[in-house]
Parts: sequence; C-alpha cells; structure tokens
Amino acid sequence: MIRHSISVGWADAPLKHFVDDARVELAVLMHPSGQVVAQHGFQNRLDVQTACALSAAINATADQLGMMIDGAPFRGLHYAGQARQLHLAQVPLADGMLVLLSVFDEESSLGIVQLYLDELRAALAAAAPPVDAAAPPALAEDFERELNSNLAALFGRK
Amino acid sequence: MSQFAPLIAAITRHRGVTACVVVSADDGIVVDGTAHVGVKLNAFAALTASLLRKTTRASEAAGFGAVTFLELEATEGKVLASGRGGLLVVAVAEPRVNVGLLRVELRRAVEAL
Repeated sequence: MIRHSISVGWADAPLKHFVDDARVELAVLMHPSGQVVAQHGFQNRLDVQTACALSAAINATADQLGMMIDGAPFRGLHYAGQARQLHLAQVPLADGMLVLLSVFDEESSLGIVQLYLDELRAALAAAAPPVDAAAPPALAEDFERELNSNLAALFGRK
Repeated sequence: MSQFAPLIAAITRHRGVTACVVVSADDGIVVDGTAHVGVKLNAFAALTASLLRKTTRASEAAGFGAVTFLELEATEGKVLASGRGGLLVVAVAEPRVNVGLLRVELRRAVEAL
C-alpha cells in the first residue's frame, strides 16, 4: 500500500552514482506498487512503465511465495540471460520499501552490483525526504495520474 | 567443509597470506574462502573478479590471449589471482610474503580446481 504520494527527483543522484559505479545499463527505482521513483538508461516512458509493472509483479509474487513457503518474503532475484542479467533488490527506507531493477551485461557482474547496492541503500536512506505524516494519503484512483505525472517529470515533459 | 577447504588451507598456511578466496569468475561471488579481520571478502572478491575480466579483455585486445596469472602489487600488500573453469583462486598477502612459493601454491591450487 502507498501511504503518501510518491515524489521523484530526490533519488536521481544516488541512482546515477550507483549506475556509474556498478556499470549497469538500466536501473529503475520504484515503489512496490509500480510507481516509478527514479530511472536511468530508458529512453521511453512506456518502457519504464512496463518495466515497473513487471518488476512490481515479480516482487509481489516473490513476497507471497516466500511467505507461503518460508514464512518470510523472498528477497532479491537474479536472472542471467545470454547477454544480459537482471537483478531485482529491495531497498528499505524509513517510510517503507522500494524496489530496484538493474540490468547489466559483461561490463559488470552480480558481485559488483551487490557490492554497490549496499552503498546505494545507505545513500538513499540519507537522501530520502522526511516522512510527512500529515501528507494526504495516496488513493487508488490517483495511481495512474500520479504515475503519468512522475514519468513526465523524469522524462522532462509536463 | 567444502571441497575447496584443503586448497584454501594450503595457501593460507604460507606466512604473510591474509586471505584466500575461491570466486566465481563471471559473477564475482565468493564460493569459499577465509580472511583475516579487516579484509572485506565479498567486496574484494567482486572487485578482483572484475579486474581479472577487464585485464583479460585488455590482454586479448593486445593479441596475448587469456590471462593465466595476475599479480598486483600495492604499497601495503599483494594480490595474486589465477583461475580455471569459471573459478578463480585469489590470495591476499602482506608485502613480506615469499611470492615465488605463493605463485607455485596458487598454480597447484588452480590445477586442482
């Protein structure tokens, strides 16, 4: 559940740092609901939207499967394709959890991504906006409008 | 005890060796290893595997083929690495280590992989 509206911008610098250090091709930081928070590497807002929706679904599935099988959500997912690899990780914040999707090729490795992920988690925890308990709650009917607004902000179009 | 434990023990028994780790070459993930306090094994493994991959690319670009042995000398220590079959054996040592003996041991370990 999203407690408050998802803001964009605050996570851009830490994510850019992570992308540079870990040499990943694509990175999307999102709320578990699929609301985008920051992205790097995507040229098309529709691709970001699709990546967020699919990643959110995978994350939710792993959460529930973990609860069912192991009594706790499964954390972290790595898939190695022929040329590219995918890594899905959770980023805990004071106000909840974010999900990070990283895509990388032979320029990087799982070990390198995991190494710099720890630094990213610390940087995001430090950069996250303070929890505003008085902020209006996010409503399901506003989801699409907020998603479009965030994507427009990320791609420089209002 | 993993199948790599004897190999790791043979390397770490050398005077001046502070860490020895078997690493997945492609992923940079630790398979097995041991280190003195202060050596961040996961970070070290990931970065060394990355270094070896990039060195291999440089070597291949120069027409020298694959890298068979890597020795890195720093002011406070040495890193020696070699691998086979998707695995690397990496040793970290103090500057005073007998590099000749350690190289022989590392090559022996790689043959046993």
